[in-house]
Amino acid sequence: MTDGREHRIEVQHVTQEFRGAAFRSTGGKLVAVNDVTFALTDNPPQIINLVGQSGSGKSTLARIILGLQKPTSGTVTFNGKDIYRLSRRDRAEFLRMVQPVFQDPYGIFNPFYRVDRVLWKPIKKFRLAKSRSQGLELIERSLRAVDLRPEDVLGRYPHQLSGGQRQRVMLARIHMLQPRFIIADEPVSMLDAAVRVAFLNLLIDFRDKYGMTTLFITHDLSTSYYVGGEIMVMHKGRIVESGRVDDVLLHPQHPYTRTLLASVPVPDPDARWRDKAAVAIEEEEVVVESPNMEAPNP
Amino acid sequence: MTQESIARERTRSAEGEPLLEVRDLRVYYRTVAGISRAVDGVDLEVRRGEILGIAGESGSGKSTLTTALLRLTKPPGFIAGGSVIFHPREGAPVDLMKLSDSQVREYRWRNLSYLPQGSMNSLNPVMKIEDQFVDVITQHSDIPARKAREMVPSLLEQVGLDPHVARMYPHELSGGMKQRVIIAMSVALNSDLVVADEPTTALDVHIQRVVIQTLASLRDEFGMTVILVTHDMAVHAELADRVAVMYAGKIVEVSDVHQIFKDPKHPYTQGLIASIPKIGGERRRLSGIGGNAPSPLNWPPGCRFHPRCPYVMDVCRQQEPPLLPLVNGRQRPPVVACHLYTQQQVSGGSDDRRS
Amino acid sequence: MRGVRGIWNSSNKLKIGLLIILFFVVVAVLNEPIVRMIGRGKDPIETAAYMPWQLPNRTNWLGTDRYGRDILALAVKGLAASLQVGAVAGLISTFIGVLVAFLAGYKGGRVDSILSGVADMFLVVPSLPILIVLSAYVTNLNLFTIGLILAIFSWALAARVIRSQVLSLRTRPYVELAKVNNMGDLEIIFQELVPNLLPFIAVGFANAVLGSIFALVGLEVIGLGPSNVIDLGLMLNWAIGWGTLSLGMWPLFVTPIFILGMLFFAVNLINIGLEETYNPRLRKVAGA
Repeated sequence: MTDGREHRIEVQHVTQEFRGAAFRSTGGKLVAVNDVTFALTDNPPQIINLVGQSGSGKSTLARIILGLQKPTSGTVTFNGKDIYRLSRRDRAEFLRMVQPVFQDPYGIFNPFYRVDRVLWKPIKKFRLAKSRSQGLELIERSLRAVDLRPEDVLGRYPHQLSGGQRQRVMLARIHMLQPRFIIADEPVSMLDAAVRVAFLNLLIDFRDKYGMTTLFITHDLSTSYYVGGEIMVMHKGRIVESGRVDDVLLHPQHPYTRTLLASVPVPDPDARWRDKAAVAIEEEEVVVESPNMEAPNP
Repeated sequence: MTQESIARERTRSAEGEPLLEVRDLRVYYRTVAGISRAVDGVDLEVRRGEILGIAGESGSGKSTLTTALLRLTKPPGFIAGGSVIFHPREGAPVDLMKLSDSQVREYRWRNLSYLPQGSMNSLNPVMKIEDQFVDVITQHSDIPARKAREMVPSLLEQVGLDPHVARMYPHELSGGMKQRVIIAMSVALNSDLVVADEPTTALDVHIQRVVIQTLASLRDEFGMTVILVTHDMAVHAELADRVAVMYAGKIVEVSDVHQIFKDPKHPYTQGLIASIPKIGGERRRLSGIGGNAPSPLNWPPGCRFHPRCPYVMDVCRQQEPPLLPLVNGRQRPPVVACHLYTQQQVSGGSDDRRS
Repeated sequence: MRGVRGIWNSSNKLKIGLLIILFFVVVAVLNEPIVRMIGRGKDPIETAAYMPWQLPNRTNWLGTDRYGRDILALAVKGLAASLQVGAVAGLISTFIGVLVAFLAGYKGGRVDSILSGVADMFLVVPSLPILIVLSAYVTNLNLFTIGLILAIFSWALAARVIRSQVLSLRTRPYVELAKVNNMGDLEIIFQELVPNLLPFIAVGFANAVLGSIFALVGLEVIGLGPSNVIDLGLMLNWAIGWGTLSLGMWPLFVTPIFILGMLFFAVNLINIGLEETYNPRLRKVAGA
């Protein structure tokens, strides 16, 4: 659903702090996202990788951009308007244009209902169809677009589908909504290798066929390399390096990026770490547990 | 381990004598929907001093296999058949499946260690590291507490940790350190074999690297045998000497790690290798593997991979291919279960099932 | 909706527990016709309907009491009364508890702090002494009022349990998905959370009912509580007060205890059964 205009999400100096007794060792608060600024545009449609390890703040940032968590300071604007101060109509418009894919293919479905509901809900809430038959047609078309057969999926309960099928249903949902931006938070981390590849190929196709821009959040640098595009490296709430994937991953500048790259296991038995000189690894210190605060990352 | 036992181990492991021989192992689960044949006739040989990787995706049965090897199968799972013969350093070989629970317990920890997935979270948060070591050692051996405590610093050094870690609490350690403590604990009693189940999954990359290097050093410096179970092929590339690929409850290919990556024989292995994104090099669209993973309640007839195989032939739909070595003049040829190779394979007795 | 049938089938313990409860409920609801059947024409719980102090025989399957009343009929009547009180108390306390729990759990923040604080106060207050004092002053209560008073002391536990479930469900991905579907707070509570919490609410209700019945029995055994209504606790009070055991007249003593025991047993089976259903590790199903 392109209307020819460019759409922009601007993240300006966004900071997210969590306070609580659990963070006594770090001065009573945890800064999950620390003064982050960047922009996402759908013109041209592209894939932007946000890579970081657990605790880097990337999932918190995803929730902030989706409008689920108001940041402690800073703003997120959609086409110039602050997404945390939208009118009801503008908010509906924003949600229609910016949609997520989450990590956990199990948790994403309410186990009480059939899988169909996940597809019917957006149709109802965003008025994507005028009649039931039109809605059904839309659903079937979207399922086929992600290589799922409607008869394999409709009428089933979530536990009857595999993880890969469930994530594809999420993509079918996206296909129906035709948002401008997909915020994908670790969408393939819980999938097997072969299924993972199929999903990533779909994300790439969504960019090429439907002009969608994806913010692809992951801890796995190899998948970032595969999808290509732009990349931002996040560490302890800050973006430490950004640029084109080929530049950053092949010629990393920042020491953290270098350390990250050195730690990725290489799928080539002829190029093992053990056969090379050891590289000193800087380990993450202090794991924070937050019992009564929302943890920054799962 | 003492210097002399290390030396002894080195001589022994140089030859790769069998440590564990698995014959036709079957592990099933009773479910409300029927019998789930998670492990359905596995033949495997584990050699001393090697790092054997077991690869396969979720649903292949590899976790069930590893728990079964150590007789850790819990209901509703049960051992439906087969044998697992353990060859100790001294003494006669023994079939672990035929032992009673208490007899098996003696072998566990002392000879056979298990590192389950996510085990770094199983450290007792209110006990010092040192005390947890003493706990483990005294429970699984006759070593008295005082002697056990003396062992702790060297055990920590074995995994590259500073001895002062002994007096710390788990929450004071980073993830990588905790994982190494767990590894040290599981090999504290000088095991022959360590079975590590997904030791790097869900960990940050730098912890992954530490774990991989620690496991490698266990073998390189202390002569331990490691069975490494993971779906992550890159970890196998970094660590394994041989890789056994599992699909639908059976082993479909076992080969030297270089062979698996450079020239995989089984179409499933080929698909797996073709699903690995690698940093650097030209960017090609990966093809993955078509179709869906089959259900252990109802494995496909004939070759279990046939519904998804790009080279499927008629015979594949009817007959299950046997796991046999590929004769190619090499001393230790790959073993494959695929009709594509039946002419090239020699059928023989169980001796020929080595790779 | 997944699964009433799925839930029913998921656990044998659950089935048995529910069946037992169902049996007792049916008996209680049909108490009048059943009593008439037992009486065979006359009113079996009228004073001197039969000879007093009869052991179980063909006319009186459980014998008679001091006043010549059929004990089986008394038990049926008593069961009905006890369940009625329990139901009233259970319904009121569950209703209040659920309301408080959802508000506190979903909204969080200050609302949660206040509501949880209030609930905690009620939990900490020693209910039995207060009940004793209350019942010492008010002797002519009807069932409904008793139920109401008991409810005051049982809503807090239901609220706490349900609140923690709400808290855990609130961060589930499907709730986040509901938010990006532009669903409102109330919509989310009723459509996403309540259906998944129905079993917990049901358990909370069952436990509240049971707790109230036992609280009342406790009061009556020591001689407090309303004496104008025949219920299981009153029967027990008579059994003790009239020295039935030393007289060898065991039915009056054993019957209410048996019924109460079965109720307790059944509710516990339901509790355990539901836990089996919702905790996958305890179930008999497994994958590869």
